[in-house]
Amino acid sequence: MQISRRGFIKVAGVGVAVTTVGAFGFGEAEAAVVAHVRPFKLANTMETRNTCPYCSVACGIIMYSKGDLKKGDATITHIEGDADHPTNRGTLCPKGAALKDFIHSETRLKYPMVRKPGSNKFERVSWDTALDRIARLMKDDRDKNFVAKNADGVTVNRWTSTGMLAASATTNETAWLTYKVARSLGLLGFDNQARV
Amino acid sequence: MSDTFPAADPSMVGGVSPAPFAYLPKPLSMFARRAARFDALAANNELAPYLAFLASLARAQQTVQDALPPQADLDRAGLERAREFGMPPLDRDAIRTDPTTLQVLRALLDEAAKIEMPAPAATALARVRDADGTVTDQMLRDVLADAIPADALAEHAFVAAAMQVQFARMAAQLDTKLLGAVHPGTCPACGGAPVASMVVGWIGAESTRYCVCSLCATMWNHVRVKCVLCDSNAAVTYREIEGGAGTIKAECCGTCHGYVKVLEERKDTAMEAFADDVASLGLDILLRDTEFRRGSFNPFLLGA
Repeated sequence: MQISRRGFIKVAGVGVAVTTVGAFGFGEAEAAVVAHVRPFKLANTMETRNTCPYCSVACGIIMYSKGDLKKGDATITHIEGDADHPTNRGTLCPKGAALKDFIHSETRLKYPMVRKPGSNKFERVSWDTALDRIARLMKDDRDKNFVAKNADGVTVNRWTSTGMLAASATTNETAWLTYKVARSLGLLGFDNQARV
Repeated sequence: MSDTFPAADPSMVGGVSPAPFAYLPKPLSMFARRAARFDALAANNELAPYLAFLASLARAQQTVQDALPPQADLDRAGLERAREFGMPPLDRDAIRTDPTTLQVLRALLDEAAKIEMPAPAATALARVRDADGTVTDQMLRDVLADAIPADALAEHAFVAAAMQVQFARMAAQLDTKLLGAVHPGTCPACGGAPVASMVVGWIGAESTRYCVCSLCATMWNHVRVKCVLCDSNAAVTYREIEGGAGTIKAECCGTCHGYVKVLEERKDTAMEAFADDVASLGLDILLRDTEFRRGSFNPFLLGA
């Protein structure tokens, strides 16, 4: 629609745009603007919608960033509540309002880390290593502590010696799957805020 | 919705209500405010002579508006029909043939003749004033179709200024409750294209975005970070002049390759869509070298 509206206001064939400014006789001022902006550059910025990761209220946020994602120098400059989001209409709680510091925090967890027994520091490990180790430890603990029947002989299938905390900023489907995985193992100490 | 009960919404008690869908123009003050903004921007801008001229033109628009009877005649049956079929309530064709439209045009041209202006502008104004009925009608048609011939931009800009007065006073009498989305990038009151969009800090609409109609100046809500022209949110990025105040950005759409400026009213409450759009011509000039084309419509900045 906009193309057809504007298609003919450029002089065909010549490739030079005629402007209202020039048509009114202010071509000199227009030329001054052209000369003035020549040394300036355009900055690329983005505004990206996302969901606040803190709790299951799942407030909408808009993250402002500058730089080029492809070149790897993109950085988040500002975060605000998404006024168009039906849940929070632009509002954020104090934790959500401090999200930018959460993102740029030096202690932010970005990959699996392990603190080995006896060690005083965390070390980075690969996802494979982390998942294998978690699975191994879970299996060992479950084999040792699983309670199939209670004292009265009623089947309970409990595993109370391990607990699990899962993230809340997920879809309903992820929350459902997380719940099924944890409960089918017999885990009782479990929270992913899907209760809210 | 019942007419007898107030529209209470218990689910919103203690919550934040949705922002209004539209804000109607305020013809009693809008042109004076625009003139003041043009003047303020002219104080520090390479385009100062043009901005000062447009300030005078906006003052002329206010003068014409103030001399008009307070109520414009609206075709009530037409409004109802438009609503029924999801059309903008102001019928451009009907308003074009309305006798008061020609009166408004005459009055604006007479007021504009008092403005000091360069020879090409004065010649253009004389041509519009001397035009016979057929030519005048064709110019009105072109302006109301947002289809301005490239060889008569200035002539049509004078006509467009008059139509802004006429349409703003008509739009001002509409009921926002009866307005609804017509089409992306289209004014819900008169079907016009946006001149720019504005992220506002107004109470009840904090941080939401409104498009400003290039004809009737009605403001309608449009979700942020979503192309105003094609409604796509797949590839929206922003361009601004590096080192600037961060108050004017071009919202560039990688889907339709158009851009419309976003004014940050939250950062500068004096911003006015028409004035700031013209005064930020530098941004349009820098964007000429990109893949994006100007998608908004401003009769005072065509071809930018």
